[in-house]
Amino acid sequence: MRTNLDRRHFLGLAGLGAGAAALAACGGPSTAGTADAVDTASIDFSGVKPAASIDFWTNHPGKSQDVEKAIIEKFHAKFPDIKVNLVTAGANYEEIAQKFQTSQAAKTGLPGLVVLSDVWWFRYYSNGSIIPIDGLVKQLDIKIEDFQKSLVDDYKYEDKQWALPYGRSTPLFYYNKDHFKAAGLPDRAPATWQEFAEWAPKLKAASGAQYAYIYPALAGYAGWTLQNNLWGWGGSWSKDWDITCDSPQSVAALQWAQDSIYKDGWAGVSSKEAADDFAAGITSSTISSTGSLLGVLKAAKFNVGVGFLPGGPEAPSGVCPTGGAGLGIPSGISKEAQLAAATFLKFMTEPENTAAFSAATGYMPTRLSADMTAVLAATPQIKTAMDQLTATRVQDNARVFLPGADQEMAKSAAKILTQQGDVQTTMTELKKTLEGIYTKDVKPKLKA
Amino acid sequence: MTAPLIHNSSAPADRPATKPPVVPAIATKATPERRRWSGRGRKDFLVFLAMALPNLVLIGTFTYWPLINNIYYSTLDWTLGSASATVVGLQNYITFFTSEDASKVLGTTAIFTLVTVGGSMVLGLLVALALNSKVRGTTFARSAVFAPYVLSGVGVGLVWLFIFDPGYGVLSWVLRGLGQQSPQWINDPQLSLVMVMIVYVWKNLGYCAVVYLAGLQSLPRDVMEAAALDGANSVRRFFNISMPLLSPTTFFLLITTMLSSLQAFDLIRIMTPLGNGTSTLIYEAYLQAFGAYNRAGYSAAISVILFAILLIITVLQLRFVERKVHYS
Repeated sequence: MRTNLDRRHFLGLAGLGAGAAALAACGGPSTAGTADAVDTASIDFSGVKPAASIDFWTNHPGKSQDVEKAIIEKFHAKFPDIKVNLVTAGANYEEIAQKFQTSQAAKTGLPGLVVLSDVWWFRYYSNGSIIPIDGLVKQLDIKIEDFQKSLVDDYKYEDKQWALPYGRSTPLFYYNKDHFKAAGLPDRAPATWQEFAEWAPKLKAASGAQYAYIYPALAGYAGWTLQNNLWGWGGSWSKDWDITCDSPQSVAALQWAQDSIYKDGWAGVSSKEAADDFAAGITSSTISSTGSLLGVLKAAKFNVGVGFLPGGPEAPSGVCPTGGAGLGIPSGISKEAQLAAATFLKFMTEPENTAAFSAATGYMPTRLSADMTAVLAATPQIKTAMDQLTATRVQDNARVFLPGADQEMAKSAAKILTQQGDVQTTMTELKKTLEGIYTKDVKPKLKA
Repeated sequence: MTAPLIHNSSAPADRPATKPPVVPAIATKATPERRRWSGRGRKDFLVFLAMALPNLVLIGTFTYWPLINNIYYSTLDWTLGSASATVVGLQNYITFFTSEDASKVLGTTAIFTLVTVGGSMVLGLLVALALNSKVRGTTFARSAVFAPYVLSGVGVGLVWLFIFDPGYGVLSWVLRGLGQQSPQWINDPQLSLVMVMIVYVWKNLGYCAVVYLAGLQSLPRDVMEAAALDGANSVRRFFNISMPLLSPTTFFLLITTMLSSLQAFDLIRIMTPLGNGTSTLIYEAYLQAFGAYNRAGYSAAISVILFAILLIITVLQLRFVERKVHYS
C-alpha cells in the first residue's frame, strides 16, 4: 500500500495528536497533586435550604424494594417539599459501587443518598467521595446514641461519622429442622464445628440431601463467611494491618474446611446462592446472611431453624462478623442536596422505619428503641439475629479495607475448596497478594 | 471472429476496437491550484462534507476521543472515583508485563480465543454442510441454529448457569442418573473456562454456519460436477474445491470472530463474575477498574494492550492470510 506522508502531512498529524492529547488531559482526574480528603471545615449547613429533589441509590438489600417505596411515601407525606427518587442502582453492593464511582469520575449524576457496603465505605472515604455527617447529625438532631453501638461505630474513622447503618446483617446458621429430626439430632444449631462434624454423617445418611452442609458461594463474599471458621480456630485474615492468613491457625481452619468436602465428604460448595440451595433442600444446613431470612422462610417447604454461628476449637463463641450496608452522602453534590439527603437519612433510620425494614427483610433493626414486638411475633427467627449481635466481632481489616481483597480471598477459597489446592501454599500466596494491595493502594492513604 | 476488445470489455461485440482516449498532459499541468476549489470541485467537496462530517463527528466523539483519553489515563496512577491522580508514564505497562497475572491473563485470552474461534468456525462449517443438503426441515433448522446468535448474552448466560449448576442443574441431574457426581463447573476456575467456552461456541456457531451456508450455496456447480465426472469423491471435492473456494468466507469469519472473541464480555461477566480462571484481557481491564480494585490507570493500560493486540492481529491477517485467499 502506498502512503503519501510528506512533511506537511506529518506535521499536521503530529499537531492533531498533540492537540488531542492536550484536550484529553483536560478531562478526568487532576494531576496537580490535590488531595482527595473532604474539606470538613467547610461543611456548615446553617442557612442552607434543602433541595427539592434527590435520588436515593439502592440495590434493595434483602429484596426491600417494596418497603423502601413505602418508607419514601411516608417521607413525602411528612416532607412534601423534598421529593426522593428511588433508583435501582445495581443488583448488589458491587454494582452500586461501580455506578457510584463511575459517576464520581464523570463528576455528574451523583445521588443524594447511596447504599454503601462494609467493604466500600472506607474506599469512598479515602477517595473523598462522601462527607462526614457529624454536622448534619447535630443540626437535624439525629439520635446517634439510640443506634446499635457496634453498628454505628463501624462507620467511624478519625473521630468522624461517615455513614449510618441501614441493612445491617450477620451470618446465621440455617438448618432444616425436618432433616435434623430424621437424624435424631437436637433441634438447635451446633455449638461448635467439631460438634457438627459428629452430626454430619448421620445427617447426610438420614436426610437424603446431597450435603449435610454447604459452604456459601465463593463469589458471594467468601471472605466474610469464612471469617467465622478462621476466628473459631484462632486464626484471621489479618490482625490490624498485619496479614495473618497464612498463620498455622488460619491454615488449620481452612484445612478442616477442605477435609469436610474431600476427606469426610459431607460438605459441598454452593455455586450461586447457598440460601437458595438450602431452601431447595439440596443441603441440610448452611450459613447465610440474616438478610436472606425472609426469602428462605417464604421459599422453603420444610421447617426452618436458625441459630448462632458455630464456634471452633480455639474460640467456642464470639466468632460472628457483622456485615451489610449503611447509607452515606456524596461529597460531589450541592449543600442543598446534602441537607435534603440527610433529612431523608434521618427519616429512613427512624425506629419505626428500621422496624418496618427489618420485618420485610430479616435485617437487624439498627435502633435500640425500635419496637420489634409485632415483627418478632410474625417472624420469631429475627430474634436470633438480634441476640447474636452481642456476640459479633468487627471484621478483619484485610477483608474490609483492602480493595479487591474479598475477590482474592474468594479465589484462594476456590483453590482450596474446589480444586483441593495445598492450603499452606495457597494462603502464603494470598498473603503476598494482600500485602501488595496494602502497600500500593492503602498504606499511602493512611494518615500517620 | 471479431478482434478481442482490450479496454472496454462491455462494449458490443460488433463495435470496432478503439484506442483509449489520450489526456493531454499539458492541460493538467496548466490547471491553476485555485480552480480545485471552484465550480464543480467545490460543490463536490461540500457534498462530501455534508455526507461525511456528521459521521466523522460521531466517530471522533465516541471512538477516537475515548481512545485518546484512555491512552492518557493509562499513564496515570488513578484510583477510580478519586479526583486526583499521579502521572506515572509507562509504569502501568511495566507493572502488567512484570506481574504474574500477565501470563495468566494472556494465556487465558489465547486459549479462549483459539478455542472459541476454532470451535465456532469448524462446528459452523459442519452445521452449514448439514444445512446445505436438500432434506425436509432445513428451513426450520437454519432458524434454530441461528437463533442463539441473536439472543442476549446475559439471558443465555443465566440459562446456562442453571444447566451447569452442580446442585440442581439439568446437567447434574443427567450425570446423577448415570451415577456420576457433577463437576464444580462454576467454582472450579479450570472448569469455569471450559463452561464459558462451551456456551460461547454454542451461541456463536450459528453465525458462522449461516455465513458458511451462504458461501456453500454460491459455489459454482459446474466445477463440482466436472470434478465428480472426473472421479473425485465427496471428501476430495470438499477439501480440493469447496474449501479453497470458501477461503474468502473463511478469511472474513476468521477476522470477525477473532475480533469479537477477543472482546467477549457478557457471558464471562454473567457466568463467572469473579473472573476466576476466565479473566481474559478485556475482563481483566473491567475487573481492575470496576470489579473491586479501582485501578483505573492500570485498567486503561490493559485496554491499550488489548487494542494493540487487535490492531496487530488485523494487520497480520490482512497482510499474510489474505494472500492465501482465492477470490475467484
